[in-house]
Amino acid sequence: MLPLPRFSWEAPDRLPDLVRLAAEPGARLVAGGTDLLPSMKHRIFRPGTLVSTRRVPELRTLRVGADHSLSLGAALSLRELARHAEVRTHFPSLALALGSVATPTIQGMATLGGNLMLDTRCMYYNQPSGWRAALGGCLKCEGTLCHVAPRGAGCYAAHSADTVPVLMLLGATAVFATPNGELPIAVGELYPEDGREGPRCPPGAVLVRVEVPAPQRAVAFRKLRQRAAIDYGLLLTAVAPTPEGWEAVISAVAPQPIRVAAPTREALADAVHKAVQPLPTHQQASTWRKRMLRVEVARALASLPA
Amino acid sequence: MSNELVLHLVVNGEPARALVPASRTLLELLREDLGLTGTKHGCDVGDCGACTVLVNGLPRLACITVAADCAGEHVDTIEGVAVGGQPSAIQAAFDHHVAAQCGYCTPGFVMTLTHLFTEEPEADEASLRHALGSNICRCTGYVKILAAARDAQARMRNPA
Ligand SMILES: Cc1cc2nc3c(=O)[nH]c(=O)nc-3n(C[C@H](O)[C@H](O)[C@H](O)COP(=O)(O)OP(=O)(O)OC[C@H]3O[C@@H](n4cnc5c(N)ncnc54)[C@H](O)[C@@H]3O)c2cc1C
Ligand code: SF4
Ligand code: FES
Ligand code: FES
Repeated sequence: MLPLPRFSWEAPDRLPDLVRLAAEPGARLVAGGTDLLPSMKHRIFRPGTLVSTRRVPELRTLRVGADHSLSLGAALSLRELARHAEVRTHFPSLALALGSVATPTIQGMATLGGNLMLDTRCMYYNQPSGWRAALGGCLKCEGTLCHVAPRGAGCYAAHSADTVPVLMLLGATAVFATPNGELPIAVGELYPEDGREGPRCPPGAVLVRVEVPAPQRAVAFRKLRQRAAIDYGLLLTAVAPTPEGWEAVISAVAPQPIRVAAPTREALADAVHKAVQPLPTHQQASTWRKRMLRVEVARALASLPA
Repeated sequence: MSNELVLHLVVNGEPARALVPASRTLLELLREDLGLTGTKHGCDVGDCGACTVLVNGLPRLACITVAADCAGEHVDTIEGVAVGGQPSAIQAAFDHHVAAQCGYCTPGFVMTLTHLFTEEPEADEASLRHALGSNICRCTGYVKILAAARDAQARMRNPA
């Protein structure tokens, strides 16, 4: 049995109440709970109060602009979004990324906001508390040493949210509500260099919606994983043409998704291979993940029109 | 602030009420407070699907669902799928094809398929396999589970 630590529960149905409750000491937002609750069972987090985002209408609203731009409420489920006709038709890479998270059942519980705010992951961290204690914990939780890079000063736990590389190439913006008003942050600016720090928004800020501008270019997405369901990505790869050439965003390799540009389509795989160094945060060998970078970029490019 | 709360929900069509700590999971509520032990307690962290139930018709993992989050909702468990005291088409097909060895995963698979065939009676092989990606079976190798699922789907489309 892995009981949840004790907490109290709030489920406001108005945005101002959500923002106020989320800013209180010891409070933590919860949406689908599919990331937070396993970590609470593993005693990684012990919030005093859980504040549910799921009953607030602003977070459950999906708006489509005349130009097909989207405004996606943060508490909409991945399942609802992946099935939405506008998303499927005009943002097929986003539909693919949404549909590659975990399992169909989890996609029905999990939300877009929770995906953007997903904690970074590492095989020494996402473990039961007894397992972690046997190693003396690590820098990210309860310890003083990083088992991935013992000589480093930081934490390299991997950003692992499937939707983010695509949202970055689509130019999406995360809009937060804080006690001082709204705060828009480009999705590409959200993630810090150190895996211990959460997304770069004020503590307790509520992600209200994700704005995706009108589709401008084709984006391709690939997820390398061991099984076709359940598993987190070993490499997340998104590619797209730019006015100057091509670009890729690679994730599951570091705390930040990594953006790489190249002058031509042919040069992109080599540029990615040179710029990205997967670290041993996963059980699968990082040497193999490094080799697969070229393969995944080539596969992603091959899925786009010539 | 509410550390303990009185929850009202509808379980298998019947109103249910329980006084629980806010940290109670839906799985604990079902198994321990309501005595419905058909829903299984597997990995406890969202990996395996043994605890799958339907909340307002959609599959949810009860082990990582806060019970309080289901206040006022309709919860359906394996205890509620039989029709008029008879096993549902899916249960009967699992029995007929011997699609269980230890059986621990079975309630979860049955709930996943109950949802799939309600939502998508014409689900093709790809959709079927995709949906079953939500559940893990450590014993059968899935072949008999797939056979049972296809058979149940055919019977549900053409009831004898
Ligand atoms: C078995 C399993 C496999 C998984 N595989 C994948 C995978 O392959 N890819 C992947 O990307 N994810 C995976 N996940 C993680 C998770 O299911 C998803 O990332 C999901 O989108 C998280 O959403 P949620 O609503 O459940 O988040 P929650 O768990 O509710 O919250 C996650 C974090 O976001 C914060 N948060 C939630 N909503 C807001 C908001 N509106 N504003 C500010 N902060 C907020 C919470 O405080 C918490 O820190 C997996 C989970 C499990 C259990
Ligand atoms: S990268 Fe190092 S510090 Fe970070 S979670 Fe892994 S072991 Fe811990
Ligand atoms: S017991 Fe809930 S998913 Fe395994
Ligand atoms: S029959 Fe034993 S886990 Fe499926």
